[in-house]
Amino acid sequence: MYIKGVGMTKFDYSTRYWWDFAYEAAIEALQDASMSIEKIDAIVFVSMSSAAGGEHQTHKVSFLSDLFKVNVPIIELTSVCGGGGVAFWTALKMKGFKNILVLAAERFADNKSEVVTDWILSAAERVFEQSEGMLFPTQNALIWQMYMKKYGATMDDLSLIAFKNHQHAALNPKAYFYKKPLELEKIKNSPEVSSPLRLMDCSLSVNGGAAVIISEEETDIEVIGSGFATDYILTFGREDITHFKATRLAAKDAYNQAGITAKDIDIAEVHDAFTSVELISYEDLGFADEGCGAELIRSGKINLGGKMPINVSGGLKAKGHPISATGLAQIYEIVHQLRGDCNDRQVKNAKIGLTHNIGGAGGSVTVHILKKIN
Amino acid sequence: MIFYKCLKCEKKWQYPINICPFCFSVLERVKTTKNKVIASSKVAIPSLLHPKAPYYALVLEDEQGVKSAYKSMEEKKIGDDVSFEQNMDKNAVAVWKMNYDILDGIEMIVSLLGGFNLTAKSRVLVLPTLISPVHNYFRDNTSVEFLSAILDFLHINNVKDIKIATQSFDDFTIEVLAQKTGLLDVCLKNKIVPFDLSKGDFIKKGKIEISKEIENADLILNLSVLKGGKGSSTENIFKLVKKENYLALRYLYNEEEIVQQIKDIKNVISIGEAISPQRIDKFSVFRNLIFASRNPVNLDAVFNATGLIQQLPKYLRDINIADIPIAGRSILEVQRNIDIVL
Repeated sequence: MYIKGVGMTKFDYSTRYWWDFAYEAAIEALQDASMSIEKIDAIVFVSMSSAAGGEHQTHKVSFLSDLFKVNVPIIELTSVCGGGGVAFWTALKMKGFKNILVLAAERFADNKSEVVTDWILSAAERVFEQSEGMLFPTQNALIWQMYMKKYGATMDDLSLIAFKNHQHAALNPKAYFYKKPLELEKIKNSPEVSSPLRLMDCSLSVNGGAAVIISEEETDIEVIGSGFATDYILTFGREDITHFKATRLAAKDAYNQAGITAKDIDIAEVHDAFTSVELISYEDLGFADEGCGAELIRSGKINLGGKMPINVSGGLKAKGHPISATGLAQIYEIVHQLRGDCNDRQVKNAKIGLTHNIGGAGGSVTVHILKKIN
Repeated sequence: MIFYKCLKCEKKWQYPINICPFCFSVLERVKTTKNKVIASSKVAIPSLLHPKAPYYALVLEDEQGVKSAYKSMEEKKIGDDVSFEQNMDKNAVAVWKMNYDILDGIEMIVSLLGGFNLTAKSRVLVLPTLISPVHNYFRDNTSVEFLSAILDFLHINNVKDIKIATQSFDDFTIEVLAQKTGLLDVCLKNKIVPFDLSKGDFIKKGKIEISKEIENADLILNLSVLKGGKGSSTENIFKLVKKENYLALRYLYNEEEIVQQIKDIKNVISIGEAISPQRIDKFSVFRNLIFASRNPVNLDAVFNATGLIQQLPKYLRDINIADIPIAGRSILEVQRNIDIVL
């Protein structure tokens, strides 16, 4: 399958209606693909926000039918933070459709922090984990603590990741932190949220939408690998707490389909819901050996200008993380990078890009590999 | 801690499932008692479920290597043990956050009060909450699942002589109430015919006329369905009092005086079901808590404190929660404002 068009809104705290984010992203993708909505013969929509918020709309497929004035099949699904990737994976598996619009929109940052935290927390298990105080920063803080004990990485390594992603976001007009780079010292001195993770180790919950049109018709971007795996919702019931098994399984599938290895990747968008997640994922995705993720960030190879830049968009950390829209926004970035139209943040000669999208604390993971077709 | 193990496949679950999906073997319930802290995070940000910060989020590991999450208001260090002391004080209240296994919750709460010393000869009177002819999900009456788990608990402890009894203080008969709520099916499945206390004898004790059944029981299990702003455990004990006598007492005395008459009936242990308790406005809220005490008034006071409920009957308002001995989870560990809709 091929990618024909992509679109995304700016990620920010605007309080537009959920469908307005969806509409703007879809129109940009349609214009990018030079096709009208009439050419779309199915839509896969992903979101988790409006069931929780005041809009409380759980039949969005019918709403979208009305919005776009179409009567094609529309599927709605959710897989929390990993929803965008799962929607894309689902669309790739659908047979008999020429052009599918994959669409995500979230108006999630829409109440006091306690409420938003609670909505996000609903992605964790309620009885064993949520009620025992396991906020997502907390789960990841505990995972990171055990990782540090096992492999000897430091909090300074995480600061470098946050610093890198903020530097990148400053160059991305659609990122929340566009033109707002952050100093390393500010990152290091940010307040602790859940020890040892600090505020600046956490991604930014924002609002936004993103869209991707996939097509049977050959375009300049081919999807050459697509992997999806799940893992237990009880984070501490897993075999190896210090790594994300679902990432390893999804990556293995995607690499096998593409017939390549991690060494062939020129650029990647890695799920950095927390800086610790990005570092652990270097290893799960095969970019670093087990226990050696810290060496990769210290080396500078994954900064813009390095051998294989990671999260040039700014990542979830500094571009922003509108939950379900994140996975599609990652594809948006890689498509534009492969096309070579990213201006100041353009990675030179990028031919193969990877996206990695996680739902929950590693409970559902997709990995996609895109290739530039000459 | 409890988990469910397939002896053939060696796989473990923390959900109370019966059958292994790989080999269809019946799973074994495995209980562990020792928990060590293997990781600890100080959480600085409050949330709706956890309004009081900082608190400590721990990862515990038991002697079988099963790991679980645990919230503590006290700082714990890696390697520390997490265990729970029994408290047999007659005023103590046991507080526990259940997992998905209600029987496990009942076993834990009983153990926290020091156990019941049940034998094959024990005579147990179970007093469910049965007050309105509505389906379970309204959370007015003892739930089918809770009564079933109580009976399982008694059977596991070899108790043979079990009587399930209550009486109705309004126009609905016990038969109608038991049928509508599904509790009749639970009784019949366990070969027990529910007994209407109003049809039995009563004996006079001070100002009250109380069911003679209390003399025939070694243990009375008062199964309260806890409700915000109410003294649900205390009120359910009134069902042991003759209806006419109760109505007369209500007419002649204030609530505190009536409560004084019934709160010290011997051999009564109150077990409070708070899986999805009603708030004052009758909407229910998922809490998955269980409470137990020999003192029903203290139990009601502690339950209301865990939900930060201010509007209380006077006999509960006068209680200083800090004076109540607590076993199991601390009030702060499970406390949140249940008026906030999640």
